[in-house]
Amino acid sequence: MTGCEKQDSQDASLEQCNSVYYWRTDLRLDSTEKAFLGQYNIKKVYCRYFDVVMNNDATEPSPNATLTISDALPGNIEIIPTVYITEDCMHKPYKDLAKKIVDRILQMNETNDIGNVHEIQIDCDYTSKSRQTYYKFLEEVQHQLSSKKYHLSTTIRLHQLSMPAPPADYGVLMVYNTGNPLKWQERNPILDYRDVYPYLSRLDDYPLPLATAYPVYQWIRNIQNVRVEHTVEAEEILKVKHAMEKERPGLSRSIITYHLETDNINRYKPETYEEIYHH
Amino acid sequence: MKKFIIISLLTAITLPSFACAWGEPENPYLFSMYVQDNFKTRVERICNDNWKAYLGSTEEYFWFNADDVIKAARQKGDALMVSYVQNLKKYLDCVGVEQSKQYEWIYPSKQELANLQRNLQAVRTYAFSKIKTKLRSQHALLYMRCNMMLGRHQENINFWQQTASQFIETVYKDMMKNIYAGALYKTGREAEAGQMFAEMDDYESLMTIYYKKRSYLAISQHYKQNPNSKVLPFLLQDFVNNAQEAIDYNSDGYYGGKLFIRSINQQESWQMQQFCELVIREDKTETPIMWKCAKAWLEYLGGKKQEAIKDIDAAMTLEGTDRMKDNARVLKLYITASTAKPSDKFDNYLAEELTWLKGKNDYFFTEALRRTMNQAIVPHYQNKPEQQLALLNITHNYGYDLRIDTMSVDRLEKFYFYTKTPGTKTFDKFLKSQIQANDSALIELIGTKYMRIAQWDRAIQWLKDIPVSYYNEHRTTEYLYYSRMRSYEVEPWIKRQWLDSSKAWETKLKWYKNIKLDFCKEMLMMESSLNLLRGKALEQRCYNLAVRYAQASIKGDCWWLLHESKSVYDTIRVNEVDFGAKAAELLQKAAATNDTDLKIKALFAMGYQELYTTTSATKLWTANEWDEQTSDYVRKYYRQSPQFRAFQGLFDIVDDAPEEPMFVSKCDEFKQFRKYYRQHKK
Repeated sequence: MTGCEKQDSQDASLEQCNSVYYWRTDLRLDSTEKAFLGQYNIKKVYCRYFDVVMNNDATEPSPNATLTISDALPGNIEIIPTVYITEDCMHKPYKDLAKKIVDRILQMNETNDIGNVHEIQIDCDYTSKSRQTYYKFLEEVQHQLSSKKYHLSTTIRLHQLSMPAPPADYGVLMVYNTGNPLKWQERNPILDYRDVYPYLSRLDDYPLPLATAYPVYQWIRNIQNVRVEHTVEAEEILKVKHAMEKERPGLSRSIITYHLETDNINRYKPETYEEIYHH
Repeated sequence: MKKFIIISLLTAITLPSFACAWGEPENPYLFSMYVQDNFKTRVERICNDNWKAYLGSTEEYFWFNADDVIKAARQKGDALMVSYVQNLKKYLDCVGVEQSKQYEWIYPSKQELANLQRNLQAVRTYAFSKIKTKLRSQHALLYMRCNMMLGRHQENINFWQQTASQFIETVYKDMMKNIYAGALYKTGREAEAGQMFAEMDDYESLMTIYYKKRSYLAISQHYKQNPNSKVLPFLLQDFVNNAQEAIDYNSDGYYGGKLFIRSINQQESWQMQQFCELVIREDKTETPIMWKCAKAWLEYLGGKKQEAIKDIDAAMTLEGTDRMKDNARVLKLYITASTAKPSDKFDNYLAEELTWLKGKNDYFFTEALRRTMNQAIVPHYQNKPEQQLALLNITHNYGYDLRIDTMSVDRLEKFYFYTKTPGTKTFDKFLKSQIQANDSALIELIGTKYMRIAQWDRAIQWLKDIPVSYYNEHRTTEYLYYSRMRSYEVEPWIKRQWLDSSKAWETKLKWYKNIKLDFCKEMLMMESSLNLLRGKALEQRCYNLAVRYAQASIKGDCWWLLHESKSVYDTIRVNEVDFGAKAAELLQKAAATNDTDLKIKALFAMGYQELYTTTSATKLWTANEWDEQTSDYVRKYYRQSPQFRAFQGLFDIVDDAPEEPMFVSKCDEFKQFRKYYRQHKK
């Protein structure tokens, strides 16, 4: 019980709110997407600003696939600039990388008149090989953000729960892409309770406040001339949510869905979204 | 100059973005109907050559440097060139600002974006004023570039049609034509633009235009408008390669990473096959071989092998470019190798085709050979292992090393002798004349393979002549370090020999004696005298042998005895004895002793997980397993497992004893067992 209470109080530092990821290359919302923000009381949009990948000659990290900002989000919504960094960028430290990323985000905000920003998020599938470099990099990002009084969050994949926690204000537990894409006939590669189960015992004492991100997307593949659509059943998402929140009740405070798109909105019933966003 | 194409069309159209960089494809496409002479690469090369000539340089020119050219132009008194390059530099700076929005760390400010517009206008006005000078082509290109950046596409169309198209043929004119094609596209004249991009080999722009128009329906409509459209090879090739991609997706060795993949299902593939036949029947195409090859390859991919053979044979007789004919030959080889029955006729055909393929310099043929080897030729020679291995060797296939490492020792011995004897048949003579194999490496591997099946006497026969220098020259620094620093006499269940691999490079240890040979001799001596021993001596010998088997196993610290490297994912490989099981068997005998100390050690050793984790067949004493009925995980206990029984035996001895060895009391695994077993003795 002590552990649970500790985690309750730790996650309590997170604002109780509904959020969504925006993962396209052009920020432009249609009417369904705009309505979704209002209907589910979405307070934050984690918006992918750009990726960081190793450049063509693999000598240093570079920005890639930068977001074109064609539309503004409703004024009451907080935008959280999110940067996806490929794991190979963290195989060794690169001088000033944190500063470059932070400066670029700030400049993008200024050039495109984006206000209401108080936080940035870094997304990286770090491994035991890249962890130490990544954590030092995050510390440097925090240092860069300190004068702005911005917060820093980072994504946590399930396999990363077994490692020490990263230096960030909180983590977003990515509860998707949990399976092996090659074993799609056995388990849903997007989400399967059986793939989450081994990590449930890690949740209770994971020493970082955690928000939770659930998948609402579809993955279409053509495997041996057959169209294969991976979609997670609503029941599976909710089963995982309930199992995780049983282990760590605080996980219900801050909920994010991945990702904002009309097809994803129409894929599930409103009751499902209400359940996913249930605190 | 290098920025020209990047900014030509792609910047204005949004293609899907991909977070992952793409690397070497593991599944090369076999349908490749045109030589990839990319427009961007071609014009960059010519422009660089022009600058090199202007600068009077003898060195290869790679990157345009405006300042160098301005300096050279001033020395020549070439005022026009000075002003041109100054303005070109200003234009390229504008391109840089635009590109920085996508790919550079410095994202432009509002002010910079406003300056960009102003500068482009100024350069445009300057360039237009110099169109009647001796550098008319360069200035005209600069003028069109500015228009393109400013979105003044109609002005570019007018300018090309009325002025630039009359210019003499230069690389600058080619580039203007490319911008003109982009302007046509931007103003809705997509078909004309596509045709021009195809003629110019501008694949990036073609993909931009046709990204969403790559279906059977779109291709058939395109054909109906113009049966010899230059875009058709691009579209057809893309379609067929995507069909191959769909087949490859779930195959071994598929790692993905390619861009612009589109799903092709069976129905659409079938429609395309019918359409290819229709195209050939209509006889309007100048390249029927391309359509027939497409049909044959789609048929093959769809499992219709007999139809594929018929069609690829027919394709070989049809008209097309030299590249198309070469591609047909590659496809015929693949289809034939995967369908023909073994025969001398096929052997001789293969020898001829391999000689032809190995003589080709284009990367496509190298990749096609790799795929054909792995998927068609290797299975064809399944029952002729020596020839199969020789083929892998002469085509430098990565499967060669893998196979010789995992195949049975008798097969490798046969291959070794095959390489040493003259061939009688033409095909064998062909293979043997080309095999490149290191004799010492093969002999060492044969010896090691005998070690892997614990035939120490045979291993000694093969290893005895391998000089120590062979290991020092052919093994990695890490291998030499691990093999010198770890002893196979240490009991792994009591002490793990942890090492810091980074020290390997500091110490750079070498071998001074053949440690593997010494190990074989010791094992032979210890095992051959086993029958002579009785009682405690026999039990102790069994224990000592178990230590060595456990250390030499794939999970042991001395993995280097049987392998060149180690991975945590290693399991027992084919044609190898399970050394962990062998150790467990010997420990069982040792545990029968009346000597309490030895009995404790043997039972404790039998509880060592690594003895059982090299195969999935043996259960450990406990595991967390999925339960279908409850749709949840449950903890299971396996009381019949050797680990459980060993711990049970150990528990019976140490639980009531006044003291127990430290290695027992400090073992977490045994602590867990003890806690469980106290509550569940029965």
